[in-house]
Amino acid sequence: MFDRLRPSGADADARKTVTFGDAAAVRSLPFWSAISLLLIVVGWWAGTKAWGLPSEFADGVRTSLAADGERYTDRALLIACNNDAACEGSYAQWLGPRTLASPMDVVRAFGLLQSEGFAGETLLEHTRTSLWRVLRGMFWGIVLGVPIGTAMGLSSRLRGFFDTIVELLRPIPPLAILPLFILWFGIGDPSAVRLLIFASIWIMIIAARAGVRTVNLSKVRAAYSLGASKRQVLTKVILPNALPELFTGVRVALGVSWGTLVAAELVGTDTGLGSMVFQARNFFRLDVVLVGVIVIAVIGVLMDILMRAIEARLIPWRGKS
Amino acid sequence: MKNLSVDAVGMEYQVPRGASVEALKDVSFDLEGGRLLTLLGPSGCGKTTLLNILAGFLAPTSGSVSLGGAPITGPGQDRGMVFQQGALFEWLNVEKNIAFGPSMNRADKAATKAKVEDLLNTVGLAGFGDKQIYELSGGMQQRVALARCLANDPDVILMDEPLGALDALTREKMQALVLKLWQETGKTIVLVTHSVEEALYLGDRLFVMAPRPGRIERDYELPFAKIGLDVDARELKASPEFIEKREEILSLIWDMEEQIMGHEGN
Repeated sequence: MFDRLRPSGADADARKTVTFGDAAAVRSLPFWSAISLLLIVVGWWAGTKAWGLPSEFADGVRTSLAADGERYTDRALLIACNNDAACEGSYAQWLGPRTLASPMDVVRAFGLLQSEGFAGETLLEHTRTSLWRVLRGMFWGIVLGVPIGTAMGLSSRLRGFFDTIVELLRPIPPLAILPLFILWFGIGDPSAVRLLIFASIWIMIIAARAGVRTVNLSKVRAAYSLGASKRQVLTKVILPNALPELFTGVRVALGVSWGTLVAAELVGTDTGLGSMVFQARNFFRLDVVLVGVIVIAVIGVLMDILMRAIEARLIPWRGKS
Repeated sequence: MKNLSVDAVGMEYQVPRGASVEALKDVSFDLEGGRLLTLLGPSGCGKTTLLNILAGFLAPTSGSVSLGGAPITGPGQDRGMVFQQGALFEWLNVEKNIAFGPSMNRADKAATKAKVEDLLNTVGLAGFGDKQIYELSGGMQQRVALARCLANDPDVILMDEPLGALDALTREKMQALVLKLWQETGKTIVLVTHSVEEALYLGDRLFVMAPRPGRIERDYELPFAKIGLDVDARELKASPEFIEKREEILSLIWDMEEQIMGHEGN
């Protein structure tokens, strides 16, 4: 029955008889992506729901919370229930409020984070702070990394010189260098941004070095024959030719930076998504933790989609020559 | 018209483990301006090395080359190069690829634009100026490469198996284009090829080269290129004179290959 959901029509791949082992014939179907997303949400909901909780008790909690001007949440309900001998033990739940927040609590936390904020800033402000940090880290990573990588690709002396430095520093996880950064740059924003530079610069150096070295000798020779100077060969041939590799570097570095963000914001910053998540953990606000995690995940996916779209526009020749 | 002069050129490569390979040994010839010279020979005979020396991409280990009396020491705009493939700039469209040479010299933009239009017509790509390189077929890409090379108005055009990657039909059409450009522009052309037929059809002069050491084995003066456009190309290639020359050169190259095999067998 799912055959009808396959891409059909004037698609040559659909007429292939050998599909197992032919990567081009294997398509991801949006239908199955939706199914997996649905399974996650349903499993989450079913796991955190308190099954068999007396409804009159829930109504009572709702009324008393409303009277106190407090918000009704699954978490508040279950805490109230566990403090009440009549209700305690009357329900079944796989994942308690100290393990995972329920979907409805997370949705409420979303609204709460936007209207009241957490740790002095709204969700949007935390997000903006984090994005701004990642952008600054990426900016310096590119500005410092690309010239070094280009120089390494062009000169064997410089390659020899920088290779040792790059190969020694590259494998260090940013988190391991964090204590040093705190000692050098203090706690707060400067350390966080520098850590993000540390996370992205090696990737950019290696991408630029590889990009420069992919240039076809014929292209360089053709350019010289056409009257280009060394400088023109660099700016009009070698660097444009390296664009696809550079772009892959930016995309990978952006992903890694975003992933390092939570660690970077541990450095005593009190704003940003990573910092928000860790402060929420200290207060056992699992709903806020989940909001932070979801926002970080969604932005990560969106950034990748955005980068692919930019790449398709900027480098249309990629993989076509 | 500038003459190309090659004087006792030798090229020796040092290979790992001591031995050295003589890619070229004592190669000398003079080529008057306006001739179309084709270089033919089995692999390892040094024909591409010779072309790279003429282009100024390689410096010979002995001897000298000069164009119009001026020694060749590096790449220059007086010698244009057409490569087999992959030498076009994919990030520029057809028009900008062709205008690459003039724009490196900061030439007048309007004049360059007119020249590009003109060249597009010459190579049969009128209306393709704003196409991207990856949108073109292999044959069209080589047309762009020819036009790009012509845009700088070089004295000599060097071609390194320019039609080697094309299918048989496209190849025949492109051969006619090369002849047309040669006759219309009167430029000196040196063309390296693996195809005996192509070397005979295009060459106004033909060197059959031999390996170990790389050298010029035979020097032919040929009549076919001059009449190549006036008569039907297939008929010309099927004429007794053409076939006779073709078989003669083929057996020459066969003998060389046999010698190489025997050499390697020992």
